[in-house]
Amino acid sequence: MSRYRWLALPIAAAALAVVPWVTSDTIVQYGINALLVAVLAQAWNIIGGFSGYPSFGNSVFYGLGTYGTAIAMAQLHWSFGSGLVFGAVLGVACALLFGLPILRLRGPYFAIATLGLAAVMSAIIATVEIAGKNIGLILPLFRGDTLFYELSLILLVAATGTVAWIARSRFGAGLVAIREDEDAAQVMGINTTMYKVAALTVAALFSALAGGIHAYWITFIDPASAFDPSLNVRMVIMTLFGGPGTVMGPVLGAFVLSAVSEVLASQATGVASLFYGFVIVVAVVLMPKGLLDLVDGFRERRWRYFADNVRRFRI
Amino acid sequence: MTEPLFQARGLTKRFRGLTAVSEVTFAVAPREILGLIGPNGAGKTTIISLISGTLLPTAGEIVFEGHRIEGLPAYRRARLGIGRTFQVMKPFPGLSVLENVTVGALFGTGGGERNRRRAEEKARGWLEFTGLAKRMDQRADALGGPDRKRLEFAKALAMNPKLLLLDEVMAGLNSVEVDQVVELIKKIRDKGVTILVIEHVMKAIRRLADRLLVLHHGQQIAEGPTDQVLRDPRVIEAYLGKRRQ
Repeated sequence: MSRYRWLALPIAAAALAVVPWVTSDTIVQYGINALLVAVLAQAWNIIGGFSGYPSFGNSVFYGLGTYGTAIAMAQLHWSFGSGLVFGAVLGVACALLFGLPILRLRGPYFAIATLGLAAVMSAIIATVEIAGKNIGLILPLFRGDTLFYELSLILLVAATGTVAWIARSRFGAGLVAIREDEDAAQVMGINTTMYKVAALTVAALFSALAGGIHAYWITFIDPASAFDPSLNVRMVIMTLFGGPGTVMGPVLGAFVLSAVSEVLASQATGVASLFYGFVIVVAVVLMPKGLLDLVDGFRERRWRYFADNVRRFRI
Repeated sequence: MTEPLFQARGLTKRFRGLTAVSEVTFAVAPREILGLIGPNGAGKTTIISLISGTLLPTAGEIVFEGHRIEGLPAYRRARLGIGRTFQVMKPFPGLSVLENVTVGALFGTGGGERNRRRAEEKARGWLEFTGLAKRMDQRADALGGPDRKRLEFAKALAMNPKLLLLDEVMAGLNSVEVDQVVELIKKIRDKGVTILVIEHVMKAIRRLADRLLVLHHGQQIAEGPTDQVLRDPRVIEAYLGKRRQ
């Protein structure tokens, strides 16, 4: 049985790939959002889950991907492909430029610095002529939800494949060592600065590509929506909910939470905004290591799993 | 004396007004065990941090295998072959014992073993060597005191160091455990590793060290063969105070 476990992923991906041909437009549109947010959660997983650096700057990379693609297509009249590349280059450049100074900070200081970066970047974009100042940009209209859906799926498979490689590689072992004890990691021969910047850069690449796809799909962007800090909060919650530092956790977390919040948004609007707050409290108290750990732990220890968590983390 | 593996010349570290280490000069020959002793606050751990690169010296030179290394970052020194343990132990708490030691094998001297499976094999070997094999799959933060010390050893050894810096690895152990660790350190030396050891347990240091370096208030007050240094009146005074006339 476990010998064939790796087959589960290609089968799941193939099943997701046929969705646009067998379901309705509404589900495909919901699917595009869910896939893109899963890409973002997976990207956050690399820097936050593996390296242990709680980034609130990933929405900046997403926003730069969004704006890069929009500027290239709306202002420079480039193709969508070149636009995506341009957006990715902006995101990656930002990670390299700011990663070096900001990654010297640890824990909450790092989180606050990245939050500052997000605020500053949206304010800067709102003054740039070519980015449409604070009004935003309108991209050429292209009706093809199926294409956007499949593109998002390909991006999610690529991001998950990258994380699967990281989880088994020497690079990943280095990132995990940094998360667990950075000083010890350094005296064991790990170039911590280079590893952290590399992790942030890979996260930036996938976040920016997700932003680019979203921009062309939604066709209208402005600074407030492109650099929305609550999007970053969702990445964090979904990853923590699913299982940080695991391969499939962020994807599961994103799918489950997107589905639940979609239902809530249509059925009970007032409760929907409380939802993520509720999830984070429950997740931190009862299952601090995420959904995947919950599945394993519950199989072994049943309800004691929750009691053990409450006790072990002294909440 | 053969060409020393390691030399410190005029090593000095000041923290603002406080001089933690002042003008310390010494050398360690290959395969030697040098004991570093002195009262609390004498600057012993600071010296280990200066050698491993966790701290940078205010002045002085550090020479390892004929090359100056005092300006190199810690990870470059680890790759040259300098491994250390921490007095306040630093395991990777959320990882298993085996994963902890595998990190040492994956990095360490010369960049380590790049293949994760082979690194894991090496790590298993070091767990046998340090007597931790039975605890392989336990989380590091679930280990008790003596096993944590063994884990610190195994992690540092998996780096395949040429020079191993041991910071009070026997503190808090009972006398049976101290004997075990003494034997372990001798076994490591017999594998060709040069060792610098900080220790408060006198019984252990007497059996272990070829030579001693004594620090007091950051100053080097004695250096030489173990027995000779332990009889030195200045050393006795530093530890016990002056005899009343």
